[in-house]
Amino acid sequence: MTTETSPTVEAPAPLAPEAPIEPAVDSPRRRFWRRMLRNPLAVFSMLWFLVLLVAWVAPDLIATHDPFKQDVTLQRLFETPSADHWLGTDQFGRDHYSRVIYGAGFAFRSILIAMSIAVGVGVPIGLFSGWKGGRFDRAVMWVNDVLFSLPIVLLAMAVIIVLTPSLTNAMIGVGIAMSTRFVRLTRAVTLAEKEELYVDAARITGISTPRILGRYIVPNLLPSLVIQAAIISGAIILIGATLSFLGIGANLDDPDWGVMLNRSQSIFRQEGVWQIVPAGMALVLTVLSFNLLGDAIRDALGRDASNNALTVTKRVSVAAAQTEHSPDALLSIRDMDVEFPGQAGQISEILNGVSLDLRAGETLGVVGESGSGKSMTMLSALGLTPAPGRMTRGSVRFDGRDVTNLSEAEWAKIRGKEIGVIFQEPIAVLNPAIKVGAQIAEPLRIHMGMSKADARERAAELLAEVRVPDPVRRLDQYPHEFSGGMAQRVGIAMALACEPKLLIADEPSTALDVTVQGQILDLISEVQERRQMGVILITHDLGVIAEAADRVLVMYGGQVVETASAHDVFLHPRHPYSHALLETMPQNHDGGGDLPVIDGMVPSATAWPSGCRFAPRCGFATDACVSAIPPLERVDNDLVRCVRHSEITFGQPVADQPVGGTA
Amino acid sequence: MSDKPFFSVDDLHVHFAGRSRLFRPTPPPVKAVNGISFSIEPHRTFGLVGESGSGKSTVARAILQLVDIQSGTITLDGEDVTKVSSGDELTFRSRVQAVLQDPFSSLNQVHQTRTIVGDAITRHFGINAGADRDEEVMTLLDEVGLSREFLDRYPYEMSGGQRQRISIARALAVKPELIIADEATSALDVSIQSQVINVLKRVQADTGVAYLFIAHDLEVVKHMSDEVGVMYLGYLVEKGDAEKIYNGPTHPYTEMLIASIPMPNPVVQAERRSLRQSFDNDAEPPSPASLPPGCPFENRCPVTMDICREEMPAPTIGHHGGEVRCHLHTSGPELGGESVVQFIESTARRSSTV
Repeated sequence: MTTETSPTVEAPAPLAPEAPIEPAVDSPRRRFWRRMLRNPLAVFSMLWFLVLLVAWVAPDLIATHDPFKQDVTLQRLFETPSADHWLGTDQFGRDHYSRVIYGAGFAFRSILIAMSIAVGVGVPIGLFSGWKGGRFDRAVMWVNDVLFSLPIVLLAMAVIIVLTPSLTNAMIGVGIAMSTRFVRLTRAVTLAEKEELYVDAARITGISTPRILGRYIVPNLLPSLVIQAAIISGAIILIGATLSFLGIGANLDDPDWGVMLNRSQSIFRQEGVWQIVPAGMALVLTVLSFNLLGDAIRDALGRDASNNALTVTKRVSVAAAQTEHSPDALLSIRDMDVEFPGQAGQISEILNGVSLDLRAGETLGVVGESGSGKSMTMLSALGLTPAPGRMTRGSVRFDGRDVTNLSEAEWAKIRGKEIGVIFQEPIAVLNPAIKVGAQIAEPLRIHMGMSKADARERAAELLAEVRVPDPVRRLDQYPHEFSGGMAQRVGIAMALACEPKLLIADEPSTALDVTVQGQILDLISEVQERRQMGVILITHDLGVIAEAADRVLVMYGGQVVETASAHDVFLHPRHPYSHALLETMPQNHDGGGDLPVIDGMVPSATAWPSGCRFAPRCGFATDACVSAIPPLERVDNDLVRCVRHSEITFGQPVADQPVGGTA
Repeated sequence: MSDKPFFSVDDLHVHFAGRSRLFRPTPPPVKAVNGISFSIEPHRTFGLVGESGSGKSTVARAILQLVDIQSGTITLDGEDVTKVSSGDELTFRSRVQAVLQDPFSSLNQVHQTRTIVGDAITRHFGINAGADRDEEVMTLLDEVGLSREFLDRYPYEMSGGQRQRISIARALAVKPELIIADEATSALDVSIQSQVINVLKRVQADTGVAYLFIAHDLEVVKHMSDEVGVMYLGYLVEKGDAEKIYNGPTHPYTEMLIASIPMPNPVVQAERRSLRQSFDNDAEPPSPASLPPGCPFENRCPVTMDICREEMPAPTIGHHGGEVRCHLHTSGPELGGESVVQFIESTARRSSTV
């Protein structure tokens, strides 16, 4: 090979012509250390290890006496702490403090020996077994499980019997015993990771198996390995101490913590409890620190709990809306702002001045790309702003009532009863362990106070209403027995159970096959007509909106950019974004050649562009667009947020001839 | 040039065996792919559409040697690549590449673009990490429309569309002759999807790479493909010129799929609704573990005959010049090019006049 590579520099930093944009996301490494340093228990255990590390590497630096030096005068035995002997002396007059310091070395040596065997044997076996799978894997796991069930001390003793009794040999036994833990962990991670797409991608690239294992699987294994190693290190110290305590570990004169405990246990009744304190405390603190460190690493690596929690922020000081509610609306939102605290104290404004009106019997389509705020609008309107976000401004009216500041208890009487919700993943919403009939009956019993028998009968009626074949039999089936389309019908039946006035459907057909999608949309509109409900249909699919919506709300960057009748939005869009979105759809583009695109990417809430949020991607943007956020202006019956709306007229987007062979 | 196709799949079958258990009968195998044949030429795109469970991704995985096949042959440039030996694997990998669906899990989170794309270069061209390799990676970034500063980005610092471009750059790194794009644009936002589609098309124009483009979105497949194949429960039920099939489908399932696409135009869509509803039927597709002896679409089909329940129709030439597997064109009333919907309407008229 003639390729030149510089031997020392791994990958020289390329000379970037312009300063690269600072990535908005915190790197996982920095986030990890930030969280670790914020956790007082983690800081405590790391400090303790720092002390032990110094004690191990350079015990002379911090020890005050020779740990083996006995007091030949026999005057200073069994002392309690004093200025000379900080932690007192033992039965030979040796300094406890210095012995504890020197003991750290024994502890770390034990860990080093046992851990290198445990990891060195366990991880490769686990990797290989998990990767291979099949019969080989089952055989390996069978042997591993047998070893796993043997007591560790027993295995260590077996090794000592075969070899000679010493701490090193005992630790070899412990290492072999502990390797079974690493086999299990590594195999489990490997089994999971090898199903990941990026491993497929590596195989397709032609990367060899050892390299995939080493460079693709091991890095993803490392976090769990480190946590496991920390906790097992604690266990190793304890086992080492136990063996020494039993007299089959370290030498009886060595300043090993276990030996020290062994020596003091026979005499502490006569000479006072203090004799077991120095070594005991060192042991307890070290084992505790290992466990705390393991927990802290796990927490610091884990996802932000506050982001996932199903907690709802308390509604505090919501500033009033500046515009009047529409009097005849079933649901009316005015000037809603929602904020999330971001990293380093800055605040991300997820929603800005969102207003909408929905009349009874009407379907409002809410359309936007990911991050546009369409789902957040609905959650916040229902008092479900996920923590740590909060609604800071706005007003929500539902069915003639102001519901902006309702308590959770008051909301519980409305949600699920007067407002039904259909979700994207029907299977995920259903409890897999409970029969479908019981799940439909639950809201009926809670909100309508029905008896069990009545609720069951009504549940069957509801299933029939959403056209689930053979409803009575299906009441007694579990969710996994339903296909995606049928499960979504169940989801709709549940949402309809208490005769809601408002139905919110959040991407109800996105997870379904296209041939089922139409049936679900038909079903929603059929039920709506029969019951005269208001329906809010949230989706990213303009085709679905065209099929089902009467009016459309287009969202971009947490703002409403256009509201109009479905006819107008599709045939005469007023906002450049609505127009561009329609243009990019392959449905509106006949023949070959490039599809029209919207350049750039959807902005993130941590860095909204100044002025109009669509301006950086807009082909019509001028200086006026970036100077201030354009107001939402009324044009006839519609609203549009664009300073140039009166200058620009968009015609009908291309193909409106019928598609498909026969229509 | 010989008349042999550049890349072809012949009578491919993929079965997943049920795991045997003690004291219990072994479950029947899941027949994921049942006798699929198609071919692709350089500069051309073959699109594969079908709903979830139709087996289209399994076809991709079988070609990429990620799953074992039951029977059938796969040839590349006349060479049998059905089961590549480990010695020839690298050569095969340098000729056939893939862009996978989920841009979030198809890139390893722990590596920068430099390594994600560079690893492929090292593996295939022996250029180790360093300035030369970075230069190669940056050329590829240019090709997929990303600026050079993406060289030291991690996947979590990129949006879905950017990640998918990195996936394309990684596939292009080995200068492949065939790229399999399995739902490559499905997870992207509408405005980003069109960007990635254009990148794929531009790459094809520049390099002449052949694509097997797999997606459930018919509109995207139609835009990308010269030829399409429609899959239903592991069978290729219709195959032929993309434009012709789209404008004149001959299999009732294809017709149902096309009728189900919602068009972003309320006026057009109002007309299409009744077309779609003419296929409505609450039956569910059979399980691939227990396929019926006849046509698997029989229970959802608006026009069925006795023979549909008894045997799977053989492929015949449809009026669009491609293939179709439907008794309506052989044992049935010989539609002779007439579409199924027109047939239903005319039979309805006939029966109402009787």
